[in-house]
Amino acid sequence: MEGSLVPIVTVPEVATVVEIRDEIDEVKTFYFNFDRPEIEQAFKIRSGQFIMCTIFGAGEFAVSLPFSPENDRKHISVRRVGKVTAALHELQPGDKIGVRGPFGNGFPFEEIKGKNIIYVAGGIGLIPLRSSIVQVLQHRAEFGRVILVYGARSSRDLMYKESIREWKATENFETYFTIDRPEPDWSGEVGFVNQLVAKKLSLPADNTVAFVCGPPVMFNSVIKELKLKGIKEDHIYSTLERHMKCGLGKCQHCAIGRTLVCVDGPVYTYKQIKTLGEQI
Amino acid sequence: MSYHRGVCNFCGTGCGHLLQVEEGRVRGVYPLPGHPLSQGRLCVRGWHLHELLQTEERITTAFIRKNGELQQVSLAQALDYVTEKLKKIKGEEIAFLASPRASNEDNYLFGKLARAVMKSNNLSLASDAGQEASARVLLSGGSWPAATGSLARLKQADFILVAGGDLTKQNPIIASEIHRARRAGALVVTVSPRKTQMARLSQVHLRPAPGTFFLVFEGLTRILYEEKKIKADYLEKHTENFQAFFKKLDQVDLGEVVARTGLSREILTEVAQKFYQSKLTYAFYPTGVQSLGQRTMAALFNLMLLSGKLGQNEGGIIPVTGISNLLGSYDLGLSPAFLPGYLVASEEKNIQKLEELWQTPLSRKQGQSVSVCLTENESLRALVVVDHDEEIIRNVNRIKELELVVYFGAYHNNFASLAQVIIPRPSYAEAEGTFTNAERRVQLSRKKVDPPPEVRPLWKNLTELARALGHDWKYQSAEEIFSEIAKVVPQYSKLTYRQLESHLGIKWPCDEKHPQGTDYLQLPEAGSKFRFVLEENVRPQAQSIAEEKANFPFRLTVGRSNYFWHQNSLMKRTFIPKREYNALLLLYPKGFVEVSEEDALRLQLREKQPVRIVSESAEMTLAARISPDVLPGQLYIPYFIEEMIPEFLLRQAAELEKNEEFFLPVRLEKGG
Amino acid sequence: MYWLERHQLDNLVKKLTESYELFGPRRDEVSGEIIFDRLSHPQQLDLKAPIPYNPPKYILFPHYEEILKYRYDRQSKKVVLGRVSHLKPKALVGLRSCDLTGILCLDRFFLGQEFVDEVYLEHRKKLFLISNTCVRPFPQCFCVCTDSGPSAREGFDLDLTRVGDRYLVEIGSKKGQSLAEELGLKKAGEEAAELKKKVVDESVSSFDAFALENKAWISRATNRLTTGFIKPEVWEYIGNQCFECGACSFVCPTCSCFNVEDVNRLDGATDRLRTWDSCSFEGYTKMAGDHNPRKPVEDRRNKRFFCKLSYSQSKKYLRPGCVGCGRCARVCPGDIGLPNVVTYIRREITGE
Ligand code: SF4
Ligand code: SF4
Ligand code: SF4
Ligand code: SF4
Repeated sequence: MEGSLVPIVTVPEVATVVEIRDEIDEVKTFYFNFDRPEIEQAFKIRSGQFIMCTIFGAGEFAVSLPFSPENDRKHISVRRVGKVTAALHELQPGDKIGVRGPFGNGFPFEEIKGKNIIYVAGGIGLIPLRSSIVQVLQHRAEFGRVILVYGARSSRDLMYKESIREWKATENFETYFTIDRPEPDWSGEVGFVNQLVAKKLSLPADNTVAFVCGPPVMFNSVIKELKLKGIKEDHIYSTLERHMKCGLGKCQHCAIGRTLVCVDGPVYTYKQIKTLGEQI
Repeated sequence: MSYHRGVCNFCGTGCGHLLQVEEGRVRGVYPLPGHPLSQGRLCVRGWHLHELLQTEERITTAFIRKNGELQQVSLAQALDYVTEKLKKIKGEEIAFLASPRASNEDNYLFGKLARAVMKSNNLSLASDAGQEASARVLLSGGSWPAATGSLARLKQADFILVAGGDLTKQNPIIASEIHRARRAGALVVTVSPRKTQMARLSQVHLRPAPGTFFLVFEGLTRILYEEKKIKADYLEKHTENFQAFFKKLDQVDLGEVVARTGLSREILTEVAQKFYQSKLTYAFYPTGVQSLGQRTMAALFNLMLLSGKLGQNEGGIIPVTGISNLLGSYDLGLSPAFLPGYLVASEEKNIQKLEELWQTPLSRKQGQSVSVCLTENESLRALVVVDHDEEIIRNVNRIKELELVVYFGAYHNNFASLAQVIIPRPSYAEAEGTFTNAERRVQLSRKKVDPPPEVRPLWKNLTELARALGHDWKYQSAEEIFSEIAKVVPQYSKLTYRQLESHLGIKWPCDEKHPQGTDYLQLPEAGSKFRFVLEENVRPQAQSIAEEKANFPFRLTVGRSNYFWHQNSLMKRTFIPKREYNALLLLYPKGFVEVSEEDALRLQLREKQPVRIVSESAEMTLAARISPDVLPGQLYIPYFIEEMIPEFLLRQAAELEKNEEFFLPVRLEKGG
Repeated sequence: MYWLERHQLDNLVKKLTESYELFGPRRDEVSGEIIFDRLSHPQQLDLKAPIPYNPPKYILFPHYEEILKYRYDRQSKKVVLGRVSHLKPKALVGLRSCDLTGILCLDRFFLGQEFVDEVYLEHRKKLFLISNTCVRPFPQCFCVCTDSGPSAREGFDLDLTRVGDRYLVEIGSKKGQSLAEELGLKKAGEEAAELKKKVVDESVSSFDAFALENKAWISRATNRLTTGFIKPEVWEYIGNQCFECGACSFVCPTCSCFNVEDVNRLDGATDRLRTWDSCSFEGYTKMAGDHNPRKPVEDRRNKRFFCKLSYSQSKKYLRPGCVGCGRCARVCPGDIGLPNVVTYIRREITGE
């Protein structure tokens, strides 16, 4: 995996959007390939990294990468929230985008081999975790138990339905899906993810790492449960989102306390997050 | 790449700046150290002026609307077209909407075109009710229409009264001066229902109920009168109608003041005493954008006069203009009420004097403001507008009916889209001219960069129009126009470009007696006296709609003051200031109403919860914003971002905008 | 070291103008104040002038700059993009030591971290720097507290120190060396180092008498900020006075924050602009969607002083982020420039 990780720093590389899928309300997934074959070749990422994506004529925004570093189609999944993402949602297959990066530290991979992993995601919090999940499943034998707990408001709000279908059928991958309120055709769990974590999980705490992503309320309640289960604060990972303008650690819009999310993050352990000294 | 001296063109503070010019473009801005007022400071708007000056979203050619579509034409074609139309229009059929942001030279010729060429007295600015009220009150009491004091000694002040608005947002650098004065020991008393930043920076914050400002000042005056804290000598010597004023004061009922304002007698007494004891005393109020009512201004004037605070030293009343050249616009008579130099427009001798200067007969018909023309003047056929940069345009339907709407502007905006003829104007860095700030400081701003090829100064185009309409105007430069202004406007009589060039502004009156300009209002000379402003002399206060407490327990006020980014059609073309007000829009995309913490608790409202506001005649839904800045029983809606103004408010706009003291009785219901 | 005689100063400047655009302190005719500006005539250069009101930062890190230009035709799906730059070499003459230190801070920040900022690098490569020792401090200075003056130690091509009516010239680079030789400057003898030290020592000891505006206790404040033991009320008190104008960042020789915007031009191209930004603005940390992690203004103020003074931030500059120029104190409408804030922190420590 130690491929050449030379990021695109200043001038974006042009890429073509090859396919667009509707995920959930206001969220679409865009598959893309670089126009220059040598970049297509050299572009290597770590799970948990992000890119700066230019929508020509509208601007640039930071977006986390949901695809695996190995053998996975390059794509981003983006919620429409502002002017630039709205312009992205207008694009059609064949349109061009600009890409800089990849940036950021990424999730641990080599370091956690042999451990149990539990992924907990809420809503679109699954986007940044997907990359790590797929990569770990690609190396399934090298890890202990692998568990995913994923919740959303309703079944319509679950991301990556195709991946979910696959994952459900994957051996040795324990998955739990939950929605806030019962629905007629729903066969999964009902309730909040933290309740599910509390109910279902029993793991040897000292050999387990957790990856948690989701809205702040969910995040805090899940952390509480994980700590009750004895998982150490520096074994809980999450990724932070911030307003970013450069991705290079220069504009400083993403500064939190003494770190810059774009270069020191976006992945932090809960232990680090606690000491950042600012609201997250 | 180098820096050039200039004057910030956003608000009436008129801060000095340096524009960084590179290859014919303004690339940056920096505060000018040593400017007598701003002393090397700028506010967030001033720091981003270059972003506006760089925008390409400019009007760079002339347009004429044909079959509903604007079509690009040459400047000459547009001027010809306008000339032909104007030839067929009579004075009372046309109105002129001037810009408080245009230079004195442009404004002077615009007024002259209206009065001397078109024989129309329908000439006004847009949102300037407060400025006119202020000029009337000050003229009536002191024969002096603007700031009576000088900010030069503000830092030594011992008492500063700030009434209404939020100067930290409207005129931040003047607020900064007040803040510095406070740090140097002045007592700052802010009077405002909302807890503004200005209030937070004051030691005393009086929060009268909406609609009761005047009672605060009448109450303070009454307390001083009761306690015999008046300067009898001063009154005898320098004022003429104090006996009549005392009679009025006998009628002020302090019990009523306390009951209606909600302020305790103790606090009022304490403030009155401190006020009386102070030696160098200032009173500030905003004009132009949501000012105070005229009765309130009069009450404040009388309070100052009763304690002998006028004409004694640099202290005094400072009406703070919200827009760069608002004061200059009045100096040059862009109002139905005044001719240039504040000569009352209805007096025959004044008209004759102007006829003599201009060598042309003028109309005797009483002029109307443009907004009155649009609502009341059925015979109106044409409208000429300069750089109307407010977002909210009223009477749109009436404007659409007009035969001719000419728009002289630098930026595309809502108004341009209503025009039949558009003629481009230079940005302020592309032309030369003078601007007069809130302190009466006339400042010369030189041209820094060339305008686009088809763009000429407004005065040039106006000169051409006048010539085509048979008047032999010969102006070749802004400077020539300025020397004519000096002949027409007594306050400017000794001002010249040469003198302005070597100073960072000169404060009018600059005349025979004061060739170096005048710092502050002096005591009246023998034979004339100050006068208390009695209500007979001023127009009555706008009255709020009768309250019906049971059904409509809340008082809704609107304001631009607290989130005042100023003229959003300009701010939208910057990056940082735009981002800053968008930060608010992002949070409340459909607008918000501010509710006090107490009321929110009582009604169990959550932040951003949709609420319905119901008045006697209409209702609307928007998000609740729970704010420590409003008092229980009050609601506040910011009124400056187009996107945030529902139909509901637009219908009441004429009332709500009169002044900051106006409110609407409403009730608040949960749910959308 | 070399000697530069009065009359050689003209030669120096003339020589420089052959290959560089000349920048230096000049006096504005009307306000009488000093601006660090492009000099249209070499005679405008005023080496005795006090510290200019603006730092030279804008020359390396402009207020407003196009960093990328692109054009996208949606019909043909063609993208043309690239950096356009036509920077000319510039000579900055008469830099005060604090301002030179400011440039070195920017260097370390823009060039010395995880990534090299290519835009800054391009500006930086083309500079010739001549510093000028402050033989006497100005009222607003406190560079002795921040270890950035009154005399420059590194980073210059040439460094001037006025001794009587001539200048001692110290060489800081090969470029500087060859210029000195080209001008035929006279080598200074053994005594030069001693002489310069004397001038600098005298300047340092005159701070008590002349630098009266700002008495900063930087080291104590640094300690406090780093350990984070400053009461929230102190920040609230400071935050309440902030007018959110951004000036303190804009005038600071070491503040480097910027905003990026893509602006569509009338000719169909788009410019990516980089403009100055400040952590004092609410929108600075605002994310699309709802969340502003740093909402109250006191948090934002806190950020600035943390950035300027804490040890952990010093790592990125290898020194405190404040170079003691006193500018933020002058431009702040709220009167909460860094020296005042340090005073508030000190009061809290000493209970004054
Ligand atoms: S206070 Fe007014 S004049 Fe001064 S910088 Fe701000 S907007 Fe410009
Ligand atoms: S923080 Fe203030 S005093 Fe320090 S370097 Fe910056 S502007 Fe100068
Ligand atoms: S103080 Fe603020 S504006 Fe200056 S570099 Fe630090 S974060 Fe940026
Ligand atoms: S200069 Fe002062 S008022 Fe302006 S942002 Fe900085 S601290 Fe706030």
